[in-house]
Amino acid sequence: MAEAMSPPGPDIICTEVAKTFGDAPAQVEAVAPLSLTFAGGQMTALVGPSGCGKSTLLRMIAGLEPPSEGAIRMGDESPQAMQRKGALAMAFQDASLLPWRSVQGNVALARKLARQDADPDAVAGMIARVGLAGFEQARPAELSGGMRQRVAIARCLVTQPRILLLDEPFGAVDELTRARLNVELPPLWQASATTCVMVTHSVREAVALADRVIVFSSRPARVVGDIAVPDASRSDRVAQLALVDQVSAALSRGWDETGPEARQAAQ
Amino acid sequence: MTALARHDLARQALGVLAVLLLWHLAAQAVLGSYMLSGPVAVATYLAEHHALIGRALWVTVQNAGWGFLAGNLAAILLVLVVALLPRMRVIVAAIALVVFCLPLVATGPVLRVLYGPGPGPQITLAALSVYYTTFIPLLVGLRAAPASWFDLMRLYGRGAWTTFVQVRLMAALPYLMAGLQIAAPAAFLGAMVGEFTGAERGMGVLSIRAMRALDVDATWAIALVAAAVSMLAYGAVGALARRLSHGRPDILMATAPERARGNAMLRGAGLAGVTLLVVLALWWVAMEAFDLSRFFAKRPDDLWRFLVTAPGAEGNRAALWAASSQTLVQVVPGYLAGLALGAVLAMVLVLVPWLAGAVLPLAIALRSVPIVTTAPLIVLALGRGSAGTITIVAVMTFFPALVACIQGLRQAPGQALDMMRIYATSPLMRLWHAQIPAMLPAFFAAARMSVPAAVLAVTVAEWLATGRGLGALMAMTASTSNYNMLWAAIVVVAAGSCLGYALVAWLERAVFSRVAPEQLRG
Repeated sequence: MAEAMSPPGPDIICTEVAKTFGDAPAQVEAVAPLSLTFAGGQMTALVGPSGCGKSTLLRMIAGLEPPSEGAIRMGDESPQAMQRKGALAMAFQDASLLPWRSVQGNVALARKLARQDADPDAVAGMIARVGLAGFEQARPAELSGGMRQRVAIARCLVTQPRILLLDEPFGAVDELTRARLNVELPPLWQASATTCVMVTHSVREAVALADRVIVFSSRPARVVGDIAVPDASRSDRVAQLALVDQVSAALSRGWDETGPEARQAAQ
Repeated sequence: MTALARHDLARQALGVLAVLLLWHLAAQAVLGSYMLSGPVAVATYLAEHHALIGRALWVTVQNAGWGFLAGNLAAILLVLVVALLPRMRVIVAAIALVVFCLPLVATGPVLRVLYGPGPGPQITLAALSVYYTTFIPLLVGLRAAPASWFDLMRLYGRGAWTTFVQVRLMAALPYLMAGLQIAAPAAFLGAMVGEFTGAERGMGVLSIRAMRALDVDATWAIALVAAAVSMLAYGAVGALARRLSHGRPDILMATAPERARGNAMLRGAGLAGVTLLVVLALWWVAMEAFDLSRFFAKRPDDLWRFLVTAPGAEGNRAALWAASSQTLVQVVPGYLAGLALGAVLAMVLVLVPWLAGAVLPLAIALRSVPIVTTAPLIVLALGRGSAGTITIVAVMTFFPALVACIQGLRQAPGQALDMMRIYATSPLMRLWHAQIPAMLPAFFAAARMSVPAAVLAVTVAEWLATGRGLGALMAMTASTSNYNMLWAAIVVVAAGSCLGYALVAWLERAVFSRVAPEQLRG
């Protein structure tokens, strides 16, 4: 594989990044000032309670949402510069396929948007690698939820991005499909040493896929846990269960510190 | 063919036979009363005059086709202007509404003088009667895409142009097709009204001639042919839309009213003021730019003199006021009755689903029949008094309201209905608590769009038949070249329609702010 030989993706460096929504009286602080570095070529998972601001952080990294404070760099470049180079890709919670384009059309669109040559072989190859050979001409409406997510992943990877952002990409599919996608798809981006950041609700998914798990408190997001996942744990069920426990403990700690009970107690 | 399809076909064939039989019996019952002509008489007339009707139909179809093209192109251009200059949206939409509210029966004669002989007025009226119903859904359609599709474009550093081509245009296609479908019969209506006003050939000319001669068979035959062609055009564009587009918009034209920043009343008044100024300026500039003779192309200041400063202005105002009030007492009851009947029948159909299967296809088909084709029939049947006019207005509002309300009632979330079923609530309770609230946006959208339609219907009826009200005033002043009064009537009708539209929009706001404030958030 050509991408296996490419250098790892750049580090993502967030410096004092914060986000507030709305104007003065009705202001909502989604992300409290955060400084984090996501190592190049690694997969980092972000977990935290619903609405804690982790998706907002991901959107800021993607350059879709400007930070209210602080800065985000990818190596030496801004997210916008990476966008223009076609070096970024993102999978959304719903597959966000364009309904009037076939599977092939949706995947090919990413290459066009990223200003790359059409390369029908690369498109066909990527569709085959996500397990959808034979469905090239199907419309999104004719596919199951799991198949649509496979198309979304193929669309992300066909441009060979340096940064891959996943916003709960398997959140809308059933448990069994999710488990299968978790086994089949990650090797596709692990091979290319892409820098990955994934938002997920599933602690097990985070531990199974990521090299590092960052746990956030409820809104505004603060880091309450930063747990490395050693490679050795992948084949060791006991080590994995211990990590799941560790992440879960951090999650409930974050909830206790900032949750509704704590806020009530503070008043 | 599946068994189900065969069953459907058999049922439809039975329905058609039943209608023909009823029609025949009714015609026998009122034989010799100049009201109704039976299927045999109509068929005989068509067989004897097929060459004449064929020629007239070809002329009208051509005019309607050119108008359809021109009007829809204009709508697309207007939407592009709004897409490029989003700040202009509200004012462009307001001016588009004013132009749509110009009464066709009066613009027809003015255009006739302007163009001279030829198909100019017919094509222009056809264009005028289609552009608004394409403009509005297209406006909604351009914004009808989930946020993540726009994110996808930005993710690759792409700007407004790529987003427009890859997302907005395609997402808007179903809305465009829905607009074009409504436009197809509307173009036919516009062309026929254009032919009423001094054309030499076409279905409109035949229709007027048949009515004047009290030729009942001819009136019915022409109306039915025109109605059939309109329904065919409606069906053909619908079939094309199903082939081309990837989905159908849920509710047509159910645009939530604008979100008001600050005082809604003040904002409304401001918009009305700006619109008035722009319209007056456009009017004056258009007249001057083409150097049109003041004899028939009146300017705002001519009307000011005619209605305010000139000797006899008081009499002019009184005549205008008398005609307006005559029209108002016909249009308001007809409009309200049509809306109410449409909404009530929709609810009945939801409560009695098997009835819906029989009524809905008929209602959708009849909605596509332009009023000018059937108005002569209603006049024949109900006479030239108020009953006929009010019925025409009611029919004009009834079908769009019925179809919109049924679509709206079906928007009720399935899970909410299931939740109520778990508590064994009655169908009436479900209707009241889940389905009627879900119906309101579609109902109000239909109510707003029906205002200009009702005004068009009442003026056509007055003009063709009753000899009273603004429609008759416009017909008379056009034929006596009293252009001051004609233009004054045009202004009154357009302003009245816009006012009615604004009134319904205000009511819509008031209702939503009580029952569904989330609908008002932009």
